[in-house]
Amino acid sequence: MDANVDLKKSWIMIKHTFPILDNNFNWPYAQTTDAQLFETINLINRFGLNATIKSLIISKFEEHVRKFVVPKFWAFFTTDINVGEGFGNFFKAVDYLYTFFTNHIHLIGNTSLLCNSKPIYNAENATDSLKLIIRATLLSQLPLNYNKIIEEFYETALKLENNDDTACPVCGNEPECSCLIYFHATNSKLVELKLLEPLCGQVLTSLIYGYIESYINKTCKDNFDNSYIDALEKWLDQFIINWLRKVYGCDGSSELQEQEYKQKLTNLLYETYTKVRINQLFNIIIEYPESSPALEDLSKCLPKTDLRPLLTKKLQKAMETRLLHPGVSTPDILTAYVASIRSMRILDPSGLLLDVVTQPMHEYLRSREDTVRCVVSSLTEEGPNDLAEELVKGDAVHVDETAASDEDTENWEAWMPDPVDVDPSKTSNIRRSADIISMLVSVYGSKELFINEYRTLLADRLLSQFSCDTEKEIRYLELLKLRFGDSQLHYCEVMLKDISDSKRINHHIKQDANYTDNSFPISALIVSAQFWPPFKDEQLELHPKVLSQMETFTKSFEALKGNRTLSWKNHLGVVDLEIELKDRVLNLSVTPVHAAILMRFQDQDDWCLDRLSRTLHIPPIILRKKIRFWLSHGLIDEFMKDCFCLVEEHDTNVPNLNADVVLDDYESESVMASTQDQREEELQTFWSYIIGMLMNLDSLPLERIHQMLKMFAFQGPTIECSLQELTQFLDRKVREQKLVFSGGLYKLPKNDML
Amino acid sequence: MKVTIKNWVGVATWRWVANDDNCGICRMPFDGCCPDCKLPGDDCPLVWGQCSHCFHMHCIVKWLQSQQVNQQCPMCRQEWKFNNK
Ligand SMILES: [Zn+2]
Ligand SMILES: [Zn+2]
Ligand SMILES: [Zn+2]
Repeated sequence: MDANVDLKKSWIMIKHTFPILDNNFNWPYAQTTDAQLFETINLINRFGLNATIKSLIISKFEEHVRKFVVPKFWAFFTTDINVGEGFGNFFKAVDYLYTFFTNHIHLIGNTSLLCNSKPIYNAENATDSLKLIIRATLLSQLPLNYNKIIEEFYETALKLENNDDTACPVCGNEPECSCLIYFHATNSKLVELKLLEPLCGQVLTSLIYGYIESYINKTCKDNFDNSYIDALEKWLDQFIINWLRKVYGCDGSSELQEQEYKQKLTNLLYETYTKVRINQLFNIIIEYPESSPALEDLSKCLPKTDLRPLLTKKLQKAMETRLLHPGVSTPDILTAYVASIRSMRILDPSGLLLDVVTQPMHEYLRSREDTVRCVVSSLTEEGPNDLAEELVKGDAVHVDETAASDEDTENWEAWMPDPVDVDPSKTSNIRRSADIISMLVSVYGSKELFINEYRTLLADRLLSQFSCDTEKEIRYLELLKLRFGDSQLHYCEVMLKDISDSKRINHHIKQDANYTDNSFPISALIVSAQFWPPFKDEQLELHPKVLSQMETFTKSFEALKGNRTLSWKNHLGVVDLEIELKDRVLNLSVTPVHAAILMRFQDQDDWCLDRLSRTLHIPPIILRKKIRFWLSHGLIDEFMKDCFCLVEEHDTNVPNLNADVVLDDYESESVMASTQDQREEELQTFWSYIIGMLMNLDSLPLERIHQMLKMFAFQGPTIECSLQELTQFLDRKVREQKLVFSGGLYKLPKNDML
Repeated sequence: MKVTIKNWVGVATWRWVANDDNCGICRMPFDGCCPDCKLPGDDCPLVWGQCSHCFHMHCIVKWLQSQQVNQQCPMCRQEWKFNNK
């Protein structure tokens, strides 16, 4: 046998069996027969070249994959494509790769025969070796943004899955298009190439995550009155998991993996839903009780997620930006406060979250001046009202947190540890038992403040509506007594008794033979001054006609109640008037001040402000405000500055120009002295001391005045005055020109300057 | 113009006509009530002695009961006699 000839012929034969050695990549290749294959293998073995040829083939193959196949595959991803083409491109790319794969199974299989069928790269078999080569090369050349197309592919597929339209969103054809078939084909090819997870796993996961999130947002975002948990879990199982099963193919081997994946997605579902609810928690609270399904959902989700700290943080933030600022009225804050407490009870029956959430509300409410007043007035308000409801629930107010915490031994199995984000210094028993009213009262740390405010409001109410429903007030008082104790509300009891006593006394006096009310009927609300809050001190000189009638009434009272007499509060009360004018008759209920003004105009048609002010003992500024009431009714006219006259008759041709005069809110004004007024009175007592000092010492700096007042004028803890308050007081005196301030010293104005 | 007062509801405070504001025994205002009472006025009236001193009735009665020997006015130490004026 001629070795040369043999060699040449052999090489041709080898190249015929392995065309790749001839740089022929025109697959599909012409098939060789088994006989030819074995002959070639034998030949190579005979030459002892099997290892060399094998390496040559593999390296040529790998080079081809690296330089040609993979770049071509990735070219589907990187060339500029329009939106909507991603689906087709990915399909084409996978199809190309898969065709390449199927066309080279033979080649690699044949090559492995060169090494006693020992698979290349220690893979399980020749096909796996091929997959390995393809996969490794593919992933080594991952282009940037390769996932865009994959994303589009699966996104479109999800749309296909969920498609209610008749037309397919991919090709626009009728539902019987083959897009879904392409999709499934692509997946199974990827699964076969073991490329699905490495290439698409991440994309799929983030796509599914996003899909779940947007689905949750879409379905339950602004709807709080339904529970969604069950529906969402069902959706996850029936739609998402099912779809993934289709994508990954349903081989039994991945059962365990599927369980794991499902668990992961369920967690995600809970987390996403919880986050959505947490972000809306403020709205959910405001909409309580309609929103209780949302709260119940959230309370189920919280233990499954790790989001308590987020909830606390977000809710506190929302409270700050949406509730606890000057733009929100105190009643609204209180409403939200009650809703928060009730919501938190659902959310966290242990009552621990409550503390965390209400703490900032307490602090803020404490800083608002009108909180107590609002609480008290909403407690006593007519109609359905959260706080009033709470009041009816009873239970005494425990402001001090020293209540004995009896261990509930019978129920020890139900004990739950406190969550970690709660102030451990407070025992949970107290937090759990606290009711809303107690909590609100404890904001101030004192029942007295509440009771005082209630007393002031009650006084206002009794004095403004003389025909008040005392029975109702007494019933209400009983409720308050249950809460706050008898002694605190004793004053109010006397006030209510004054009302009913007054009715009786009025009745008696009217029947007194010595009593006459021929000028007009009068009755009185006779109050026990010691038990009522202080009245605003206002001067008012009534018409002699009224005064004499009052005098008659007082005489009868004195006769009825030995050794007792009456002091009339001239400015308080209500007067029913009938006013006959030339062209009309008016029936009005007015305050005594307004009646007093009008009665003077009955005596005399025109008055100048000054003289009227002296007659009625009302300062001109206030009087002017009061006259406005009659101006607005068109009874009085200011015909020149500070001069008023009665208008008996209206020119019918001239519309009432005064119709839109703004009525002052005399009705809503409290007749009780405000705390500020009371304080003012206290400060006024210092004034005489200050004048004395300055007369003796000529001029003094602020600190010295304060020191001297401390020494001489402040008695007891209540009558004190901070440096700041004193400054304000003295500055006002300077503005009123009762003091002179120069060079840091206060002094009295010189007499000749006055 | 003719103004007719159809009805006038006024507000007045009542007080005892006494020489002092506070009871000399309990130091509480006369217009309030003695420490044992809750309601002022008819329920806790004042009484005058012939010495012209006056007290919450409950206070002076208690005081007189506590005095074993003489029944004296706690203010002026004169013999206490009710003045039923
Ligand atoms: Zn007394
Ligand atoms: Zn008494
Ligand atoms: Zn005496």
